[in-house]
Amino acid sequence: MIRLQNIEKVYRTDTVETLAVNGISLDVAKGEFLSIMGPSGCGKSTLLNIMGLLDEPSKGIIRIDDQDVSKFSDQQLAKFRNKKLGFIFQSYHLINDLQVIDNVELPLLYRASSAKERKDLATEALEKVGLSNRLRHFPNQLSGGQRQRVAIARAIVGKPQIILADEPTGNLDSAMGNEIMEILINLNKNDGTTIIMVTHDENMAHKTHRLVRLFDGSQVV
Amino acid sequence: MFKHLFKLIWNKRKQNFLFLSEILVSFMVVFAVFSSLVFYYQNYSKPRGIAYERVWAVSFNNSLKIKDADSLKMFFENVRTNIKSLSKVQEITYSSSNFPYANSHSTTGFTSNGRKYDRINTYFTEDTYHTVLSMNLSEGRWFNNTDGVNKYNPIVINDALKKAMFGTESAVGKLIGDEENAKMKVIGVVQDVKADGDYLTAGYAMYNRIDTGSRKWIGDILIKVSPDADAAFESKLYKVLANNIKNSNIEIVHLSEIHDAKNGDVIFPMTIFIIIAGFLIINVALGLFGVLWYNISKRRGEIGLRRAIGASGRSVSYQLVSESLILATLALIVGTFFAIQFPLLNVFNIASSVYLVALLLSLLFVYLLVFLCSLYPGKQAAAIHPAVALHEE
Repeated sequence: MIRLQNIEKVYRTDTVETLAVNGISLDVAKGEFLSIMGPSGCGKSTLLNIMGLLDEPSKGIIRIDDQDVSKFSDQQLAKFRNKKLGFIFQSYHLINDLQVIDNVELPLLYRASSAKERKDLATEALEKVGLSNRLRHFPNQLSGGQRQRVAIARAIVGKPQIILADEPTGNLDSAMGNEIMEILINLNKNDGTTIIMVTHDENMAHKTHRLVRLFDGSQVV
Repeated sequence: MFKHLFKLIWNKRKQNFLFLSEILVSFMVVFAVFSSLVFYYQNYSKPRGIAYERVWAVSFNNSLKIKDADSLKMFFENVRTNIKSLSKVQEITYSSSNFPYANSHSTTGFTSNGRKYDRINTYFTEDTYHTVLSMNLSEGRWFNNTDGVNKYNPIVINDALKKAMFGTESAVGKLIGDEENAKMKVIGVVQDVKADGDYLTAGYAMYNRIDTGSRKWIGDILIKVSPDADAAFESKLYKVLANNIKNSNIEIVHLSEIHDAKNGDVIFPMTIFIIIAGFLIINVALGLFGVLWYNISKRRGEIGLRRAIGASGRSVSYQLVSESLILATLALIVGTFFAIQFPLLNVFNIASSVYLVALLLSLLFVYLLVFLCSLYPGKQAAAIHPAVALHEE
């Protein structure tokens, strides 16, 4: 599903050069639930961003669904992200000025779909995460766990094949974290969605199919 | 997408209040500027109605001791003959002091067929007045000798008054005025004369023939001179006048000079107004630019998110420009509501077309201003790196 070959990412300033990801090669199979762990600054999020086509590697090849995405234009990348990828962030990244249902509908605005279709899909996604009774609430009227569930609904509304989750339970207490983890496991199990999750939590990581550890930008396990 | 943007803007209406107010204020200023410019341009593009070149105006203080009307007439005719005998004088006419471009106005009003007509410029003229000023007749004729003895006072009116009174009908031969002993008969219609300069309206005008009774009020002569009339001739003319009209202050002015001065009375304040408005618009543009820039820096996380979920750089830029234009539309709806009151209430007695054209120009101008001011911040937003923006949040 995802193949990374010898990926490197270097951040350069006028005086300093930082190697954030150092020659990582990784295959993620379709339907796999993979977790990535490592200390802060080891390059987990950078690697996730590269897999999510939000960042370009300095070196190496990324293939998703057998397509070499490194040659994609900005438009093609945007379309690819919209169709194939879903993102969940630690800080939710919800738009506070939009109601829950409008936040969930967002990815559908960037593809051809009618207003009714968008509403139906967003309602369905919110039902899946147990928030069908909060459609007209604004994000700041929800708890952290509920916000993350809205973010998950937004990630799955477009029925992507891959979900990239950057510390999705990082801002939540353990009960809420477990709830979110349950939702992700169900999505993986029931819908066959490939999930790649960056986490600091050993317990959460052990609930996934495979764990990849990073240290100083390199894969250690 | 439009509905989504509208919803986003509506939910952020408090934050957008400053932006909306700024656009509303700039629209009202621009509307005022354009209303003035359209008004002046519309007037400027209309015919002048006279040829002022080579027309000199002689003013004398009519303190003549001659009381007898016939003697006064004879005196005036004598002066006329002496001036006309000068080689470079082509035509001469006596006139009331409110000749074109003079700083003198005489207005009257009357009721005709139950309708009141106000602010009618009233001129006292002679049979040669229209020749001296090269006025154009639209209908009928100018005064001549046959107008001396008539039951009704003969008058010539201008096109504007004719249109107001008779519409498209012919005015010649019509009696005007509801009072039986003050009825006037229209013998001709002349093209409107912009007597206050090229940029102001002609207004209504009515021309009366100087008769024996009104001669004692006459203190101005208009002289059409030949192209070779120079300063030496002017000096000679002055001497002839001084010899003929004793004990009087005589002043000769060229209509071309007072015409330019009249235009200057409009151009100078208008230029100042445009400069001030220009500075204001530059400030507004910078303000809009700043507000949009600030909004983008505040919304980096949102922009990063939109990029992550499928927006291309171009669609982010398009979204921000569209948001600005939607906001401008909201402000312009309010602005248009106020602006439309001007033609509806006939403010300043200016034609509706002036306000409507100015409204259209102002809308286009403000849209263009907002579009240009949002273009660069929109482009900057498109360049935001999604991974960096999402990480910052």
